[in-house]
Amino acid sequence: MSAHRRALAVVALLALMLPRGAYAANPIDPTGTRTVGLVHGFWTLVSKVSAPTGQDDGTQTPQPAPQAIPPAPDGTPAIKLDDLSKPTAIEAQLRSALRPRDGRLRATVAGGTARLGDFSIGSNESVPGHLLVVQGTADIYGRLLGNLVTVEGDVVLHPGAVVSGDILTLGGEVRDEGGEIGGEVRTFRTASVLEAPLRAVAPAPSAIATVFRRAAGVIGVFLTLCALGFGLVMFGRPNLEVVSDTVAHSFGRAFATGLVGQILLLPTFGMLVVGLILSVVGIVLLPFAVVVYALLVIVGVLGGYLAVAHAMGETYTRRRLALGAMIGSPNSYRYLLVGLGALAAFWMAWSIFGWVPVAGELIRGAAILVTWLLATAGFGAALLSRAGIRENFAGRLIPPEALTDEYLWATPQFGVTAAKRPGSRTPTRGL
Amino acid sequence: MRRVLLPALALSLGASAASAQSMRPFSTYRQWHGETRLDARLDYAAGALRLAAGRPTELYRMDVLYDGDRYLPVSDFDAAGGSVMLGLQAAGGGGLRVVSRSQLHQTASVTFSPNNDLTLAVTLGAVDGDLELGGLRLTDLALQAGASRATVRFSQPNATRCRAARFQAGAAELSVLGLGNSRCDRIAVEGGVGRVTLDFGGVWTSNSRVVVKMALGEVALRLPRQVGVRITLDRFLSTFEPQGLVRRGTSYLSPGYDQMSRHVDIDVTTAVGGVTLGWVGEGEVVR
Repeated sequence: MSAHRRALAVVALLALMLPRGAYAANPIDPTGTRTVGLVHGFWTLVSKVSAPTGQDDGTQTPQPAPQAIPPAPDGTPAIKLDDLSKPTAIEAQLRSALRPRDGRLRATVAGGTARLGDFSIGSNESVPGHLLVVQGTADIYGRLLGNLVTVEGDVVLHPGAVVSGDILTLGGEVRDEGGEIGGEVRTFRTASVLEAPLRAVAPAPSAIATVFRRAAGVIGVFLTLCALGFGLVMFGRPNLEVVSDTVAHSFGRAFATGLVGQILLLPTFGMLVVGLILSVVGIVLLPFAVVVYALLVIVGVLGGYLAVAHAMGETYTRRRLALGAMIGSPNSYRYLLVGLGALAAFWMAWSIFGWVPVAGELIRGAAILVTWLLATAGFGAALLSRAGIRENFAGRLIPPEALTDEYLWATPQFGVTAAKRPGSRTPTRGL
Repeated sequence: MRRVLLPALALSLGASAASAQSMRPFSTYRQWHGETRLDARLDYAAGALRLAAGRPTELYRMDVLYDGDRYLPVSDFDAAGGSVMLGLQAAGGGGLRVVSRSQLHQTASVTFSPNNDLTLAVTLGAVDGDLELGGLRLTDLALQAGASRATVRFSQPNATRCRAARFQAGAAELSVLGLGNSRCDRIAVEGGVGRVTLDFGGVWTSNSRVVVKMALGEVALRLPRQVGVRITLDRFLSTFEPQGLVRRGTSYLSPGYDQMSRHVDIDVTTAVGGVTLGWVGEGEVVR
């Protein structure tokens, strides 16, 4: 394949994937372009293939025949509809209570009745107590002396209808055609009360889907770090190398510094804020200081982590060179790539074997521990080296005298050995 | 290498699509059953907010589209006290919260009946708010704005007399337009950092006393020509250009102040910033 075709393939792939990201908020988009539709169809096919059999998202629940919901077995808490002021709490309560038992709904409403399917109150009827209607429309012509809750159904208040209490619809709406409502009307047009049980009894995602999702995440993070690292090498290579050398030569010290740095992060931030506030004039600088502080921390942690990856890659590459391996371009880009690859290997192992009981959790724990350990060391190295400005702990401070030709020939220049060398002159002799 | 990178890129993009936000629509209202007054409290954390007079048949109504993962809608009416609490409260406990761009996509529309007296307390977080209070029967108003941009309008005269209006702005841009229509006896404005615009346009039917305290920022006053205006300044590092005002003692007075039947006395205290003046015509409300 020529370079031109490869470039075209990359552009085409991006064009295929980007619209999908843009429709993330609304995954159902039948009006999209044909290409997007094809990709969506392919993704759905992959999902269906990787999912266990018997799970089909396209099934529609048929409208149930109107009937009373039988009471819940003894010991099951009754549904309380006395107070509808916290609709999300009611939703959670119903989600739990309306979970099918033995293949059918069973529920008890405290001080009221529960109905499945459409339900109506006639114009000459008066129903005392609260009313729960599931998967049906509540047509009110008469009087309801209590609260009314519908799940996946509307409420229609016909002229002359009276509901003395509140109305709550979860997955429906209220059509007031001239009725009287004594209380408050609350409407969630979308709700997940009856979907939750299905979700609860549905088997967990297949191992293949889990592996793919996790692997995609790991690769995404790896690529992001690679991009950041390459940028860092391009624009701040000397600093990166100093931090990297600090990690390599003073790992213990860097880790301890990073640990202390993590502990002091919040207190330092608090002191900074309080100090600026107390200085009155500093209040103006407060927003900037907060942003700058956050940026410094992020740069410190991220840069330090990349420096650790650089150090790992450099060490590995040099060892291979020492063994006589032929390596094309042993530079900082390669070091970073190798180091980040090694770090990503932990997480890739988790993404592949994470679904295995116990072992998966152990791998995940190990990956978290190693990542934290190295990030702490990297952060500490960044602090020790003042973001790569100070070389004190980088193992680079060799006395200038040592950088002579004699040093390279391993000839002692100082000390007792040098003084005893035949024909040499000690500094004091001759003065 | 490319064989690996391209599928990886595709997978990472595909995975990002899975993290869609769950915005939920929620509506609440209460029929008007002849109530004579309502004590309303509105707490709105983040997003866009519109508030206005609504249908006479509804005591109040709130339609909101909110982030179901982070917020809970609040709608609690106390029949005994004649009060209602509306808005969005953060789900979960306390702690540091960061308002993301997606949360700013939340929208809310709140209306109140023009039939009954209304005591309104509004607390705004990171909000772009447009509060049209004209046409209501507002008896008391308290507005607290955090990091918000809020515009409060009185496009029509308040249907009843308002005892007091208090505005507190943190790091905010606050504009209050048509204060003449508000019919408030006392108006207090406290600003932290930002810009506060007070437009005294509208129809003045009574005297009013206004206290403005601004720590850091600009106070823009648009003064009415049909009423007597007196400005008393207490400033530290602030600029002030008394355009068209006459100095008398420690105050600045509009021409013919003593002859005017209505007076607006404004006390301004600023630390750092400036006070700018402008003029609006009779009955005019800047929009």
